[in-house]
Amino acid sequence: MLRKQKIEKKKKNKKPVVGFYAITGCQGCLLSVLFNEDKLFDLTKLIDIKAFPFIKQLEGAKEFDVVFMEGLVAKKNDLKELKEIRAKTKVLVAIGACACTGGIPAFRNFMKEDNYKHLVYHKAMHLTDMKPTPIDKYVKVDYYLPGCPPDKNEILTFIKDFVLGKKPEIYKKPVCFDCRKEGNPCLLDSGKLCLGPITRGNCGAVCPSGGLECWGCRGPTDDANIKTMMSLLEKKGFDVSHIKKRMKSFVGLKLAKKGIDTYEQEY
Amino acid sequence: MSKNIKLSHITKIEGHASLNLSIDNGKVKKCELQSTEGSRYFEGLVKGRIYEEAPEITSRICGICSSAHTVCAIQAMERAIKFKPSEQTIMLRELMTLGERIRSHATHLYFLALPDFLGYESALAMAQKYKRELSTALRLVKLGNNIVKKVAGRDIHPVSAQVSGFLTLPTQESLDEIKEETDERKSDAITTAELFAKLEYPDFERKTQYFSLRNKFGYATLYGDLVSESSNFPQKELHSYLKEYHQEHGTSNFVVKRGMSYMVGALSRINNNFDQLSKDAKKVVKKAKHKFPNFNPFMNNFAQAIELVHCLDRVSEIIDFVELKHEKPHEIKIKDGHGIAAIEVPRGILWHEYTVKAGKIKAANIITPTCQNLRNMNDDIKAFVPTILDLPKEKMILEIEKLIRAYDPCFSCSTHFLKVKFKRT
Repeated sequence: MLRKQKIEKKKKNKKPVVGFYAITGCQGCLLSVLFNEDKLFDLTKLIDIKAFPFIKQLEGAKEFDVVFMEGLVAKKNDLKELKEIRAKTKVLVAIGACACTGGIPAFRNFMKEDNYKHLVYHKAMHLTDMKPTPIDKYVKVDYYLPGCPPDKNEILTFIKDFVLGKKPEIYKKPVCFDCRKEGNPCLLDSGKLCLGPITRGNCGAVCPSGGLECWGCRGPTDDANIKTMMSLLEKKGFDVSHIKKRMKSFVGLKLAKKGIDTYEQEY
Repeated sequence: MSKNIKLSHITKIEGHASLNLSIDNGKVKKCELQSTEGSRYFEGLVKGRIYEEAPEITSRICGICSSAHTVCAIQAMERAIKFKPSEQTIMLRELMTLGERIRSHATHLYFLALPDFLGYESALAMAQKYKRELSTALRLVKLGNNIVKKVAGRDIHPVSAQVSGFLTLPTQESLDEIKEETDERKSDAITTAELFAKLEYPDFERKTQYFSLRNKFGYATLYGDLVSESSNFPQKELHSYLKEYHQEHGTSNFVVKRGMSYMVGALSRINNNFDQLSKDAKKVVKKAKHKFPNFNPFMNNFAQAIELVHCLDRVSEIIDFVELKHEKPHEIKIKDGHGIAAIEVPRGILWHEYTVKAGKIKAANIITPTCQNLRNMNDDIKAFVPTILDLPKEKMILEIEKLIRAYDPCFSCSTHFLKVKFKRT
């Protein structure tokens, strides 16, 4: 074999260099990676984990093939770290609701400052705090693994596809589709404010299966008709302000184009 | 001789934290261990929301102890609206809490703490030589996750546990499966305790106030008075003995008990409630050379390992006792009110407090274990550093990090901005 070919082959067999990072968040997404109990060590055979500050010393790499980023931008340092990492990686994957859509912490965007101003207890916070936003407000995101928490299997499938060079598929069906497959009774019919019809599935409808109505943590489907959903829920007797708060709980900032006034402050 | 140590990103802990230390002439001049996590204002986020939404929202404070926040929020809310849950509900909540403690302790002990003691940078790097240990860890993590998942629908951010009860109940078969898996894992828990009994812990003691729940029925998890050195404090009188204050630059607040720092967590629980541990957990301690009460903060690691054995025994015990009845969440007559709940979670005491008016949340207050430990950690570092001044800087940093990690701090949790209630007394 020629030297050149050898190098080519070596390059081909090289495991992708991967980083798992988190900015402001709850670390639940990184735990979803770690909690793949039976497969964690197989995973390390597929990828070369160069950064994972939650469980590893700071080491990092000059360049990553792919970085999974948990959390949202809530302070200036988050933004700095996010930009530095974006510059070092070929592919950036937003993992979890906070990174993808802002999650629960971004609900602050819809609150009057009076509701949380008293919680800001020193001047430094005013200087470092930022408007809470998902990461794609500031950097290019190549793939999204949504959900709060993200689905463990979806993470594994994504990594396997990535290693095989397959383009990861984006799931388009709503939660209702998964829910029917699980054989659950419809929660909308039993008087619950379920956002299943407008929410992207592939979560196995885990909440409705446990009796809890869908809060929409995975974000709206491409063809979600928010206005129709609103009027349907209104007809069912739910209070408009309550419906809006629910819809905005995890993904408020992403509903702007979908017919909900994003910056309308609720209370 | 003066030294400055700055760790801007402490790894192998939950969340983000920094340490700023200056040492002058063998004395610690400055010691600032702080959260650098961005603020998320959870107590503001629940304001104005419907009372039953609190568990779902506050669960997002923390991934690893999401069950803890869920259960604590539910209990505080039930006290606010004056609702009494059924005995079965309480037992299922305890199962969730125990399952979470098992996975959390196993994760902390093997993935965050152990690499330091064995001289590795991470558990992943240990994989080749310590495959057996790590497989033990992952089996225990899996057990804990399975318990939470089977009881409450999902392992992280559980779904079925709600104010007044469970939306769906686990089946008797799934409880039996948990019991079977728990019994199988028992030897793993004991091996873990034996491993952590043998580790070489730094010879350091500093007596502080050890604060935990205690009740007369058994090793306290969800109910009981707060105790510290034989003084009792009822949960609802929280504000009469705990004060919160903040320090500049950091994003978490500190909590002191009557002006003094105190410790919460596995070590405090065992120091206060040793007599109530399960038989096998006590046996593990008897075999080890360590004694309790113990004033070495590094022993929080061993204390967690002992608790693993106890938690597995307790899970078995509960499942033997429970005979599931069909119970749907009750219709609730909502009353205005105020409720406080304190429960024991992996890292110590967690507090949730709510005021409800016309079915909506008027005010919320949450105090997490790491907030409470923060001041004590700072005090420990200040006392510990002078004993290791001879070490080269790198080794010294590792020892300090070991101390911080022994507390199993969670800075995601501790950053949530509470009102300043600092009073000079």
